[in-house]
Amino acid sequence: MKRLAVALVAVIALGVALAGCTTGGSSSSGRPSILIWADTPRIPQATEYQKEMKGKVDVKIETIAQADAQTKIALANRAKKGWPDIIFGAPADTAQFKDPSNGYAADLTKLVSKKIFDGFGEGNSDCLYNGKYYCLKNDLANTVLWYNTKIFKELGLTVPTTMQEFVDTALKLKGTGYSAGAYGDQLYYAAFLQSSECPLADLTAENTVRIAPSDPKCTRVAKTIQPLLDSGVIDKRSPFDAGFIKDVAGQDKVAMTIGPSWWGDFVIRPAASWSVPAGEIAAANMPSWGTGSDNKSGAYGGGVFTVSSHSKFPQAAVDAAVWMTTSDWMATAATTPTFPAYGPANKLWEARISKDPYYANNVYTAMAAGANNISQVDRPVRFPFNAQFGTLSAAIQNGKSLSTALDDLTKSLQGLAPQSGYKVVTK
Amino acid sequence: MTTETITTASSGRAHGVVRTRGFGAITGRTVVWIVLAVFGILSVVPMIWLILAPSKTAKQLNGDAPFSFGSFAQYGVAWNNLLSQNNGVILNWMGNSVVYTASIVVISCLTAVLAGYALAATALPFKRALLIITLVAMIIPPVALVVPLFVEISAIGLYDNPISVILTSSFYPFGVFLAYIYFSTSIPTELYEAAKVDGAGEFTTFFRIALPLSRGLFGMLAFFSFSAAWVNYFLPYVLLQSQENFNLSLGLGFLFTSSPALNPQNGAQQSLIGRPEIALASLFLAIPILIVFIASSRLLVRGVLAGAVKS
Amino acid sequence: MFAPYLILLALFGVWPIVQAGLVSLEPTVINPAGGAQNFADVVADVRFVPAALNVVVFLVMYVPAMLIVVSLMSLLLDTVQGRWNLPLRLAYIVPASMTGATAVLIWYFMLEPSLSPYQDALHALGITQGNQIWRQGGLAWIFVAMAFFVGAGNWIVVQYGSLQSISDDILEAARIDGANSWQIAWRIKLPLIRKYLVYMGILVFAAGLQVFVEPQLISGSVYTGIATDWSLNQLSYDLAFQSNNLADSAALSLMLLVVCIVAAIVVIFRSDFFEGTGVGSKK
Repeated sequence: MKRLAVALVAVIALGVALAGCTTGGSSSSGRPSILIWADTPRIPQATEYQKEMKGKVDVKIETIAQADAQTKIALANRAKKGWPDIIFGAPADTAQFKDPSNGYAADLTKLVSKKIFDGFGEGNSDCLYNGKYYCLKNDLANTVLWYNTKIFKELGLTVPTTMQEFVDTALKLKGTGYSAGAYGDQLYYAAFLQSSECPLADLTAENTVRIAPSDPKCTRVAKTIQPLLDSGVIDKRSPFDAGFIKDVAGQDKVAMTIGPSWWGDFVIRPAASWSVPAGEIAAANMPSWGTGSDNKSGAYGGGVFTVSSHSKFPQAAVDAAVWMTTSDWMATAATTPTFPAYGPANKLWEARISKDPYYANNVYTAMAAGANNISQVDRPVRFPFNAQFGTLSAAIQNGKSLSTALDDLTKSLQGLAPQSGYKVVTK
Repeated sequence: MTTETITTASSGRAHGVVRTRGFGAITGRTVVWIVLAVFGILSVVPMIWLILAPSKTAKQLNGDAPFSFGSFAQYGVAWNNLLSQNNGVILNWMGNSVVYTASIVVISCLTAVLAGYALAATALPFKRALLIITLVAMIIPPVALVVPLFVEISAIGLYDNPISVILTSSFYPFGVFLAYIYFSTSIPTELYEAAKVDGAGEFTTFFRIALPLSRGLFGMLAFFSFSAAWVNYFLPYVLLQSQENFNLSLGLGFLFTSSPALNPQNGAQQSLIGRPEIALASLFLAIPILIVFIASSRLLVRGVLAGAVKS
Repeated sequence: MFAPYLILLALFGVWPIVQAGLVSLEPTVINPAGGAQNFADVVADVRFVPAALNVVVFLVMYVPAMLIVVSLMSLLLDTVQGRWNLPLRLAYIVPASMTGATAVLIWYFMLEPSLSPYQDALHALGITQGNQIWRQGGLAWIFVAMAFFVGAGNWIVVQYGSLQSISDDILEAARIDGANSWQIAWRIKLPLIRKYLVYMGILVFAAGLQVFVEPQLISGSVYTGIATDWSLNQLSYDLAFQSNNLADSAALSLMLLVVCIVAAIVVIFRSDFFEGTGVGSKK
């Protein structure tokens, strides 16, 4: 028993010692040290920054799941410690972080040089609140029309430029075994509802949100797209669904799909994903709903870097956020599948992707055309907007009509908004 | 119930086979065997699949027959890929799991045995009230208190400190109850009384009389404490923040949601973590429990509840 | 001697409940006055009723499934003493090692028709697409299956152990009276282990009420968002750390806790499980 007791004490002592080691590792060199939280696709650029800063700034990187950004910061806020110096997240995360009740996001308006903001142009509009910038946009994820030139040639199709043409073209696929894409997830929102400017998170005043499914810009979506679903030319599964990939996308059966700019390198090309052969895929402008300015694109993704107001080394933190979103390295790396929001970086990225032999045309043209034409009706909001896409996907996948699916979604949104202090307008 | 009946209960019934009578009984036994065997196969199939999974590449895993074997080399590849995640943070997770679990088992068992003994054999004020509170606490699942515990832990400044997980998980009312029953039924009260008459204090009695007799009790307490601590997820999920402080079960959950293995939106080009890697990490989590369970199976036969509760 | 445990009990058993009580009355964005209104606000939350229904459906399937299968399997196991008894028990324990994320991974593969070893069985049932299984409204039974396989094996072995404590004399007497093995199982063994089954039922119920990990992980990985706020515990977590509304979260935690405590008190004072321990009711 005595030996046992000694062993027990030893184990506890070891545990405490190890715990001490892992938590107490602050640098004593006097160099600034910063902590970066980013999701997996942003890790290569963070790692490069860590390398470049060696000897100047100690950069520590932690991977997070993008969906956890808000909860992780809320936990740190409660504990009053453990904040990262910069964090990658969705624009809606920043809407939460900049709220005084949260207080995590630092006002970057004065901390970042005007030259940088100028370089972003419209690209940073998601970060702008009442004339102040609270984040830096990493990438633009506007929707374009991806189409397969081989299939289009085989069927003698022309590339649609309006939503009506998109529908007509899609209907021609009936019975051919080809598909016009799968929309049973967030993509239905980005490709159709958002591009149609259906008001679901329309901030008419700082704390007033308009969620109006009866708006004609909402109702026209179901009316237009429902026939495609009914005739089976578009799939009600998610584009990431294992069955859809196995039966359709992986068999090179997607004739066209609306999808964000990052889909080419990220979803359509990789062997583990759709694995479409080289030389077939091209991008065209997002089909327009109407005439004139009724030609917006939606956005699926498009993250931002937010800087901590609690950082011990604010300058080092700001520098890191600027580098992550604007550096030449990020723009030219093969590991950057997304369309940089920062103008000059974007030019470099163009040089790479426009010459990529994988694509059948210069996909950059269509991406750039839509990049600064993303619908601005729905804004980043403090309530969990993106989390409600589960409701939308479920409704579509369970075979409900698209108008019912929208009703389900709006019911959740209208219920959640007041909890975050918004007044809801439904008309 | 005494110690004697606990130990003899299992051996005494080895011959308890039902005598079969006629054709009806024979088909009845066939059905019994089929049910038992099918349930056994259903139980083992997922584990076999899990053991085979890391031997295949992601493509083989999706394309090949579910129970095919890839190659031994692939286990090494998957392991190296796991090591690539944040400079081998998985080694931290494994180490943490061992340290946290060991600390929890030690602290929870010691406090439980002491408390159970105190309840059973010493004059303790409010004994009945304390016992009832312990019983209530034993039925409330630890998960129920996670949010309140977080508030408390962050208030005392232990957030993201492994000690918070170790201490909160060491609260072990079920263990106290088991120990209480053990000391009040399995060891004759006369033994304690005799020691006290001889002038021994509470602690002396405990160390001289009770502790040497409670080997079996420790085994059972450690078993239950281990099986809860090793797979601890929700509590560390809320109390720990830095990746290097995670335990393996939390780390696995993190790989789940942050890697492209099961969520393609996380970027297959930027990460080496795929499904075989996740399966391998799952194995690291599952195998130790399996070993402990199998090693303790003899312990369980004797009737954990039956032995614990006076019948 | 009692002190170390008492400290843990006070710090991590009692104080969190007291603190939750205090926090649950704090003001919130929707209820700046604070107070008991917070409890009503939680119930009125759009996510509350669906989550509560999910948990109820989950429990209605999970608890009886556990009770029935565990009693049946342990009784059957008890009839086959001998060489195969131990290997069977070990086999039943295997799934208990695959909890949390491991369980989600395995069930994803087992239930995805394009990847599953049970492909033929799934196709025979008319299931050819993953979204026929993994869809909102149909998730409860998947989580039941996950929880069931993690928990059942251990409980079968434990209840089998309870059966071993039945004295031979009783069984022998029954046999001499001409009872067959079904009658012995049904009339004698089952009633004798009834209280252990009740105890198990309460623990299973209390744990099921708090289901969190499986829906949370599924929602964060394969089918993004499919089970967001599926269970009450997830809602409590999201209220606290997504909506930044700790008061309502604490209120919800307390409501769940009260259900558990009531269940605990029922089992302590109204069943004979703790009879003779100096606590329960004397019959």
